[in-house]
Amino acid sequence: MNLLKISISGVRGIVGATFTPELVVNFAQAFGTYLESGKILICRDTRPSGAMVRSAVISGLISTGCEVVDLGICPTPSMQLLLTNLNARGGIAISGGHNPEEWNALKFVREDGIYLNALQASELLDVYHQGEFNKVPWNRLFKLRERNDAIEHHLSKLRQNFEWEAIRKRRFRVAVDCCNGACSEMTPRFLEELGCNVVSINDSVQERFPHDPNPTPSNMQQLRALVKASRADIGFAHDADGERLGIVTEQGTPLSEEWTLAIVTEIELSKQPGVVVTNLSTTQAIDEIALRHGGGVIRTPIGQAYVAEMVKEVGAVLGGEGSGGVILPKTQFTHDSFAAIGSILEFLALHQNKVSELVDRIPGFFMIKRNLASSPSAIYASIQELRSSIEFDAKGSTVDLSDGIKLSWPDGWVHIRDSNTESMIRVIAEAREAARAEALADWAQSTLRLEDAHLNDQ
Amino acid sequence: MKPIRTLKISISGVRGVIGDSLSPTLLTRFAESFGTYLNSGKIVVGRDTRTSGEMVKHAVFAGLLATGCPVVDLDICPVPTIQLMVRKLGARGGIAITASHNPVEWNALKLIRSDGCFLNSYQAEELLSIYHQGDYRKARNHEIKAVKKNSQGIPSHLEQILKHYGPVLWKGRRLKVAIDCCNGAGSVMTPELLQALGCDVVSINTTPDGIFPHPPEPVPQNLTDLCQLVKESGADVGFAQDADADRLAIVSEKGTPIGEDNTLALAVKFLLRQEQGTVVTNLSTTQAIDDIAQVFNCRVIRTRIGEVNVTETMKKEKALIGGEGNGGVIFPRINFARDSMVGITLVLHYMALTASPLSTLVEELPRYYFVKHTLPCPSFRVRSFLNSLKEIYFREKLDLTDGLKILRPDSWAHIRSSNTEPIMRIVVEARNEETAQAWAREIIAMMHDE
Repeated sequence: MNLLKISISGVRGIVGATFTPELVVNFAQAFGTYLESGKILICRDTRPSGAMVRSAVISGLISTGCEVVDLGICPTPSMQLLLTNLNARGGIAISGGHNPEEWNALKFVREDGIYLNALQASELLDVYHQGEFNKVPWNRLFKLRERNDAIEHHLSKLRQNFEWEAIRKRRFRVAVDCCNGACSEMTPRFLEELGCNVVSINDSVQERFPHDPNPTPSNMQQLRALVKASRADIGFAHDADGERLGIVTEQGTPLSEEWTLAIVTEIELSKQPGVVVTNLSTTQAIDEIALRHGGGVIRTPIGQAYVAEMVKEVGAVLGGEGSGGVILPKTQFTHDSFAAIGSILEFLALHQNKVSELVDRIPGFFMIKRNLASSPSAIYASIQELRSSIEFDAKGSTVDLSDGIKLSWPDGWVHIRDSNTESMIRVIAEAREAARAEALADWAQSTLRLEDAHLNDQ
Repeated sequence: MKPIRTLKISISGVRGVIGDSLSPTLLTRFAESFGTYLNSGKIVVGRDTRTSGEMVKHAVFAGLLATGCPVVDLDICPVPTIQLMVRKLGARGGIAITASHNPVEWNALKLIRSDGCFLNSYQAEELLSIYHQGDYRKARNHEIKAVKKNSQGIPSHLEQILKHYGPVLWKGRRLKVAIDCCNGAGSVMTPELLQALGCDVVSINTTPDGIFPHPPEPVPQNLTDLCQLVKESGADVGFAQDADADRLAIVSEKGTPIGEDNTLALAVKFLLRQEQGTVVTNLSTTQAIDDIAQVFNCRVIRTRIGEVNVTETMKKEKALIGGEGNGGVIFPRINFARDSMVGITLVLHYMALTASPLSTLVEELPRYYFVKHTLPCPSFRVRSFLNSLKEIYFREKLDLTDGLKILRPDSWAHIRSSNTEPIMRIVVEARNEETAQAWAREIIAMMHDE
């Protein structure tokens, strides 16, 4: 399996295999060359390899004449917010995000705090492949600067965005699992400032990840137990860098990561009808919620930059992805799990609600997510083959080919696409009935005929 | 003028011009080779003050961390401090980020082994072989160690010197010492050392910002500011260092440079008059060393050019002192490295012991005249040049350790190819200038005929 992935979501790979210091240095040089120098912010999550990647990035950026500002370990959205405030030219977040600990990645941020879009990412790749990087002589090199106020700056923005006092009055008891990631310092502080009684686990930046950092129900078992034991009002789980948020109800039920955006959509559209932007693979529940509140849904290809740009372009109320990422424009145009926490706690405080009551208002769908790991050649060949057979016979479905293949029927849909972050095909099927969702996923899997596919249910 | 080709990967490490040949990728690969070579052991890293030092340092960190090495970051400090700390911390090796006496746009990696010495030519060949094969050790995520900042370098180095030598009084008073640190790696430590030695310090160029006010090689033409400072301030002595503070040049109280060769001669004479011991130096260093050793009935051993050749011989022979004619003094009792701080300490104590002005101590040294020439010579012609010279001088006393050295009773000539450039170096020393010049002309003429 190819363990290096270069895509709209940045460059990511496994440290000790494909993600070498030379590769990182060259990508940093390419980014510095692409941005024609200027001020660049960098931050990292808590992976042990972060120190190595950080040095490689610093060296590559300085050599192309960039003024590097290192924020150290901090959530990626904190860096993105500070970046726009400082009028920096760009940023690099060093984080494998939701990927397991042995991965790491560079995620490239432009001056408006949004990740590079597909066109910009391909321009960056052209610079990388051409290998002709800007070389700056000794008397035009900038000194490395370090700042540690990114979290404070982020918190002060959040204070303006939410009704702080109302939340403080409720004195929530909140359980959190930071996965020993980049949120370990900020989240307990954030919640304490919100007057919460915080019960936190895995909040040490010195420790290894206790489980995979993707906040899916299977990775929230520890948090589920904590919520129950502490009788918390709600539980929150972070990925490694503060982009994705997972939720456990006060009853101890870990929610599918798809529900994070659905819940925040329910909250935000109930306050203010309007447009919600999400990607093709995100739950149909979003459409029903929007319909109920008289709002609309715009679907984009997968990738945060697509969603963020669309949110900005159409002035959407919010955006996000089924992976647990929520964009609230009043905070910033990027996945920000702190803004999502603020939105949820504010609603629960103002409406004297329990989170399970909020969940009851989300339409029920069954979603199946399957990851078919395979070689890149097999992946593209089989998707190509399926695409041509669909063009011949769409099986009565509505076809969307803007990112992979999405087939929708009145009672369900299935989306087949190659992952931006790993060498695998993602098959996502959703229907009101579990059996129908299963059937759709089974059909896709058998039609793909991946010889060396091994089933890898999440 | 920009050199056409600036990159040099050799047994001396890797060297090049920033913004031209010395890219972060190359530096990272070199560090990966070194980390692989040292089996992921602890590595101490330090740098001189060059503006490119931070970029180079992080490229080095990335490479070392990727191979699983724990890294100790001394940041800006003299190269001899790095060498001392490698030993003190029990590290597997060290990397000094410095282009030493080269101009400001250059930078380089110098590679240090666990005993504080630089890699010898065999070890350097092994390292280069790893570099060229590109098969570096790849630490997995959880095997990657952290960089630890360590600010104990200069304090440890000072402590080590002061353990052996205390404050000096000259004829019952404090000495006034002028220094020029070239805004290099000695900028912080040198004033501290002099204060600890009880001297009054007048200094220029002690801002460690890497903006060199003059070329950092401590040769007489770069010492005019220091000479003036000595005269104006009435200092008893002036000291100048190169960018990484391994080499030392001295200016007498009269405001004249005493010549780089005399730095080692003074140190040797000071030590030998107190105790017996072997002296090691290279083939191109002044005959004065032999004359001094003879007076005290001590032995001199000559080695090939290159600091590591001197230090390895010193180790084997348990030498008392050694060094090179370029201002590099090695006194193993304090530090097994060329160390300008040690040179300063020994010279000041020599002045105190004899209660003599520095110019008098220099006048008492055996007097020789030095002529140095370089001739372009492609490497494939080196052998035939040397062979023809051997035929011409076959009746005389020859030393073939490193190129060709012809020894006469009161003079010598050394002809060898450079380790770093396609040139022949011709060094002639004699009792007077005319003899030295005449012999040098004779050799050059013969090489032109060849």
